[in-house]
Amino acid sequence: MVSVTIDEHKLEVEAGSTVLAAAERLGIEIPTFCYWKRLPPLASCRMCLVEIEGLRRLQPACATAVAEGMVVRTNTPLIEETRSSMLDMLLANHPLDCPICDKGGECELQDMVMAYGPRESGFRDAKRVFHSKDIRLSPVVIMNVNRCIQCQRCVRMCEEVVGAVALGTVEKGMDTAVTGFEGSLASCDQCGNCIEVCPVGALMSFPYRYKARPWDLNETDTICPHCGTGCQLTVGARKGEFMRVRSDWEHGVNRETLCVRGRFGLDFIESRDRIKRPMIRRDGALTPVSWEEAGDYLSRRLSAVKGKVAGGLISPRLPNEVLYQFQKLMRTVLRTNNIDCSSRWSTPVDALGPLLASFHTRAPLQEVIGRDCVLVIGGNVTEENPVTEYLLRDAARRQQTGLLMLSARPSRLDSDARAVVRVPPGGEAASLAAVAAGLVSAAGPVLPGDLFADIGRLPAATDSDQSNALAAALMEGRSVTLLVSVDVLRSPLARATLQQLSNLLQILYVLGKAPALQFLFDRANQMGAWDMGVMAGALPGPRPVVDAQTRAAFAQAWGAEIPSEPGADLDAMLQLCVNGRMGALYVVGTDPLLSYPDREFVERALKAADLLIVQDAFLTDTAGLADVVLPAAGYGEETGIFTNNEGRAQKVRKFREPVFEARGNLAIFDFVAALCGEAQQPSTQGEIFDEIARLIPAYQGLKQEELGPDGAFTTAALSPPAGEFFAAPPVASATNALLLVTGNCLFHNGYLSEHSEILNTVAEDPYVEMSMQDAARLGVSDSEHVVVRSAQGELTAKLKVNRRFPKGLVFVPENYKALRLNSLMRRGEYPCPVEVHKARATDEVGPFNGSAARADGLGQGMPPA
Amino acid sequence: MFEPVLLKNVDLPDGHLLSSYEAGGGYQALRKVLGECTPDEVVELVKQSNLRGRGGAGFPTGMKWSFVPKRTDRPKYLCCNADEGEPGTFKDRIIMERDPHQLIEALAVSGYAIGAEVAYVYVRGEYVTAIRRLEQAIAEAHEKGYLGTGVLGSDFNFAVHIHCGAGAYICGEETAMLESLEGKRAQPRLKPPFPAVAGLYASPTVINNVETLACVPHIVMRGPAWFRGIGPDKSPGPKLYCVSGQVRKPGLYELPMGIPLRELVEDHAGGPLPGRKVKAVIPGGVSAPVIPEPGLEIGMDFDSLAAAGSMLGSAGVIVIDDSTCMVKVATRIIEFFHHESCGKCTPCREGLNWAVKVLRRVEAGEGAPGDLEQLDMLCKGIFGNTFCALGDGAAMGLRAALKHFRDEFVAHIEERRCPFH
Amino acid sequence: MTMREEIEAAAARYPDRRSALMPALLIAQREHGHLPGPVLEEVADILGVERIWVYELATFYTLFHTEPIGMFHLQLCDNVSCMLCGSEDLLTHLEARLGIKKGETTPDGLFTLSTVECLGACEMAPVMQVGDDYHGNLDVVRLDALLDSLRAAAGRFARVEHASAPQPGE
Ligand SMILES: Cc1cc2nc3c(=O)[nH]c(=O)nc-3n(C[C@H](O)[C@H](O)[C@H](O)COP(=O)(O)O)c2cc1C
Ligand code: SF4
Ligand code: FES
Repeated sequence: MVSVTIDEHKLEVEAGSTVLAAAERLGIEIPTFCYWKRLPPLASCRMCLVEIEGLRRLQPACATAVAEGMVVRTNTPLIEETRSSMLDMLLANHPLDCPICDKGGECELQDMVMAYGPRESGFRDAKRVFHSKDIRLSPVVIMNVNRCIQCQRCVRMCEEVVGAVALGTVEKGMDTAVTGFEGSLASCDQCGNCIEVCPVGALMSFPYRYKARPWDLNETDTICPHCGTGCQLTVGARKGEFMRVRSDWEHGVNRETLCVRGRFGLDFIESRDRIKRPMIRRDGALTPVSWEEAGDYLSRRLSAVKGKVAGGLISPRLPNEVLYQFQKLMRTVLRTNNIDCSSRWSTPVDALGPLLASFHTRAPLQEVIGRDCVLVIGGNVTEENPVTEYLLRDAARRQQTGLLMLSARPSRLDSDARAVVRVPPGGEAASLAAVAAGLVSAAGPVLPGDLFADIGRLPAATDSDQSNALAAALMEGRSVTLLVSVDVLRSPLARATLQQLSNLLQILYVLGKAPALQFLFDRANQMGAWDMGVMAGALPGPRPVVDAQTRAAFAQAWGAEIPSEPGADLDAMLQLCVNGRMGALYVVGTDPLLSYPDREFVERALKAADLLIVQDAFLTDTAGLADVVLPAAGYGEETGIFTNNEGRAQKVRKFREPVFEARGNLAIFDFVAALCGEAQQPSTQGEIFDEIARLIPAYQGLKQEELGPDGAFTTAALSPPAGEFFAAPPVASATNALLLVTGNCLFHNGYLSEHSEILNTVAEDPYVEMSMQDAARLGVSDSEHVVVRSAQGELTAKLKVNRRFPKGLVFVPENYKALRLNSLMRRGEYPCPVEVHKARATDEVGPFNGSAARADGLGQGMPPA
Repeated sequence: MFEPVLLKNVDLPDGHLLSSYEAGGGYQALRKVLGECTPDEVVELVKQSNLRGRGGAGFPTGMKWSFVPKRTDRPKYLCCNADEGEPGTFKDRIIMERDPHQLIEALAVSGYAIGAEVAYVYVRGEYVTAIRRLEQAIAEAHEKGYLGTGVLGSDFNFAVHIHCGAGAYICGEETAMLESLEGKRAQPRLKPPFPAVAGLYASPTVINNVETLACVPHIVMRGPAWFRGIGPDKSPGPKLYCVSGQVRKPGLYELPMGIPLRELVEDHAGGPLPGRKVKAVIPGGVSAPVIPEPGLEIGMDFDSLAAAGSMLGSAGVIVIDDSTCMVKVATRIIEFFHHESCGKCTPCREGLNWAVKVLRRVEAGEGAPGDLEQLDMLCKGIFGNTFCALGDGAAMGLRAALKHFRDEFVAHIEERRCPFH
Repeated sequence: MTMREEIEAAAARYPDRRSALMPALLIAQREHGHLPGPVLEEVADILGVERIWVYELATFYTLFHTEPIGMFHLQLCDNVSCMLCGSEDLLTHLEARLGIKKGETTPDGLFTLSTVECLGACEMAPVMQVGDDYHGNLDVVRLDALLDSLRAAAGRFARVEHASAPQPGE
């Protein structure tokens, strides 16, 4: 600690803090432009110059470290004159087109001139003008260089936080301009964080440009619906119409940053595919009807299947209250445990439960990764959870966190990692076993012999060098965090992978590394869905259905019996359908026909159910097969809680009422329960929230009113690990076959993103990614169309050669509806063996979403807007 | 008559070849330090010599070297500033073109002293001849074992690489040069950390001007006392003066530090052109404030010039005679700085832009009352507030012109034309 | 050596490949005359660095040209020393003789005329750099002689080019 005096106030601060930070503590405001909390100081704008006793020159507060006994002044006439002079020079070259500038009213330059600027300027000469028309850098980013004040926040944000290195600075001196390669940002992440940090109206959002004045917007703080990172954002709407998304430094896990989905992908709210009225199947076709008619029809159909099995599938993108109420409806009204919340994989509850109970840390990501060693397993965090990736990069670069990566797909984060294990597709379990083995042998006698002997003796996997390096890094770490992508759950080996994770965590536990586990979900409320017990084998908690005590407790609270046997998960439910045993299948907010990895099978199953009820905001492929379609509120039209990957409960707020004849999901559940002659109590969001807070230990004590913009953490006391070790999975024999892995890409993570016009505009066409060696071997080259064929089917798309891809891996992004990727997949087989060859002229290509909507003239050069 | 030290080889017909350098006693200093001195002893010699940097700032070289941490697991680097962008300056070019081995020996000796195994010579890209000669000299030196692994049979390894600039004055600023060496836009870095602690690739780095380094072998051979005996004790040594402009004998002169400006201009450089009178002299490149004629008695060394409100800078002496309009000179100077501003900080980027706009107008006879006050204000807003010294140099130069030749500025505004046309 | 090999050789001089960007751009510019987008991409590719970094450098430094320039780049120094020695008149003369303004290229593609900041050769002011060579102590007469000799050299060059080009019907 050192003591400083600022404007006569004395203060003790940590050595190394800046004068700016110290002043902030005292509530003394020092104006800044180039300074940005998340970035190292640049000290270029010179707004923050202050007097330091004993120094001849003024010093930049943002970059000057305090020293013992330092005496600082921030309010002398010289400083005031200097600030005013900086602003005068800047403003004199600034266009002052504020009336038509998007930033007008929330512009830092305006505010600063108001507070510190000269009242009039002596400069009479002509202003600098770069161009007369704004420059369209990308479909979403538009630039007015005339307004730029060169704080470089955007460029630094792009390189240091996002890691995209797409924006740069060209020319020098007065000609300096921020732009992309050759004047285009066509191939950047389109995250728009550059726009967010721009203090003036230089970088602007194209979709929002000229649409509204900030003071006309109704702003609602809410949570991004796209992925499990759960970023805080603010929706601006005018008269209920969605206008824009903003974010701010103060709140949320994301601290202002968002990814392209969060910043630009919320326009799906205004999608044209909304279901306007209830529909029933009449003469083979879906026909719009009134709610009463739909009710009559549904109640008839429901009584017809009474006695047969029912099943429910709901999206993990819906709020906790909806999820909770749904499983309660299924369990107490339809009397079944056949419930699931994933339309893409089956969750092995037996392996997952103990892991969650012993290691899952409900704590801020920032904290969990600020520990000294983080192992990221599976997936591609850059594309699946972009904002999590920003935080990881920051930790690696600025806090010296050791990043370790283990996955089949390479990611941008690899370059910041201390060790990378590239596993063969589907080889996560085997690689984890090898890492565990490496760790046991690295730890040596520290570990009690007999317990770990088996693990130490495991057959070394083929990548033993890499695994050993990773094990060595884990051994060095003082504390270790595991971040696990959900793509490990997609495979039939999910159980084995979870078991190997369990082995690894237990070894780390014994080694005193205080291991923590979090999942990197790609669905906004997957954690909540598990917590709410939307699983065939688990009640809220999640606690096993087979546990009589748990069952009894819920039965008592709900005043109804709960079936004692674990139910069928989605996979088993579809089998029930196919076997002709499914009476009513109730699908809420999700589209298994598009996402279940075997289109032929899921289609057959859905058609075989006696009654298919689909409740959704959008007309999905699955809805197209339904007998009854119930229009539900969309995102932003109902309030509730999401629990993100960190276990943070955050409030999703509505900013308008459900449009057309749509109703809130909870109201629809009431409606359905009533048709079955029952009433679910309680039934409003607030009451259900309270019931959750009462009945689920992790949520105990949460109060809705207290969920501020940072949400509140759910809490759980971790139980000691079971001490059970699992055998290693067989190492897959090396094959020459190509294996298809699917997953999210930056622009699409399923379902909702496909309804966003902006995301469709910025997203690249669907593609097939593979290594350079494989491409060369197959005689195909980048950008060429290729056919991917499996035993089940084939698709055609553009090839993207990725230098960092391992041999044998083929990746195709999920969620491009037109691609029908799941028609290649065979149930229970993942990764999927495929062949790839060059497309002939006759192979059908597209029509792809997005390509048609792509704005003309984008890509090369910089066409004026 | 002062006997040249640094320039003693430059007029030899094949002065740039190793053979002539060796014939004149070349590489003896390198042999000597490798055979007789520890690195610390070399640093000590340089310290005792009171050698001060010839790049412009006059920082004591020995002291700079001693800031390099002794214990570090990072490699250390020596960077030679051969960017020579200061208008009016051409001394480094002549050394590199005509006596490149002098620089290479100097690099090896200095590298040995600070513990660097690699030196980068940052030469401005326009100096094609200098670059070729240096490359040739490096090859020759390698062949003869003056460079490479185990220099002259010792266990000292040393490599010299040329890094070509590509046209940016700011690269002469030492931290901008480091950025440029790292393949980035050349914009100055925040200090601290100072380069001696964390410079090139975040490793300890010493940056010195060509002329500064060239002094080192001579100090080794003749001793610090000899060096200190030339010129003022606090700012001693032989010095290269670049004389140009409106003078009879422009050229490069090696004379003792501290020689009176008048002697340099009138005796050595032959004085003004026939029929003209000296009006003013810029003593140290255009960053140095102009000195009006009556002030030419001043001694050409760091301290005397600083005391007189100007600076020795790069010793680029530009002579201006009475036929020349000072408003025009000032405008051209500010245009230069404006053109070369890297654009990083507000006062330099924006301030110089406004200064140029006002100056051009005044020069063209379109000035208005208040313009000079506006320029005074700009000088105030720029000076001391910029990120690096480029802006300071510009503001100081303009301020001096406004102060010493205000009547010329006023005349432009009042007469609405240039009185010199 | 191919361009790639030359760039690799330059990269070997530095511990970090990004450092080789400036030498690489100089090499590429020598090879291609100027630095259009595809060349910048190729350089980025060879060194394995971000494309925007290459673009930043190509525009920051004045010796790099992203647009084509004439066969002879006349770079007349107009900084103070040269100005005091008459460079302004030389510029006027050049503009008149070539029929272009500074910053422009003659229609035949032979000359691009620029003014540049101090070339570091003020002892021979006024100075002009053409290609690699400095021409000092210039006056109108010498300048004309220089232009003539450059034209003649261009003619020789063109004839050589022409002679080596395959003739029609060959
Ligand atoms: C804008 C600016 C330009 C400079 N240009 C040069 C230059 O061209 N050559 C040079 O040696 N030093 C130049 N310097 C000084 C260097 O920053 C640095 O002080 C010098 O290279 C240190 O070497 P020395 O101690 O041997 O003088 C410049 C400084 C500034 C601020
Ligand atoms: S990272 Fe996830 S939560 Fe954050 S903005 Fe992107 S999609 Fe939304
Ligand atoms: S905020 Fe300190 S210089 Fe910009």
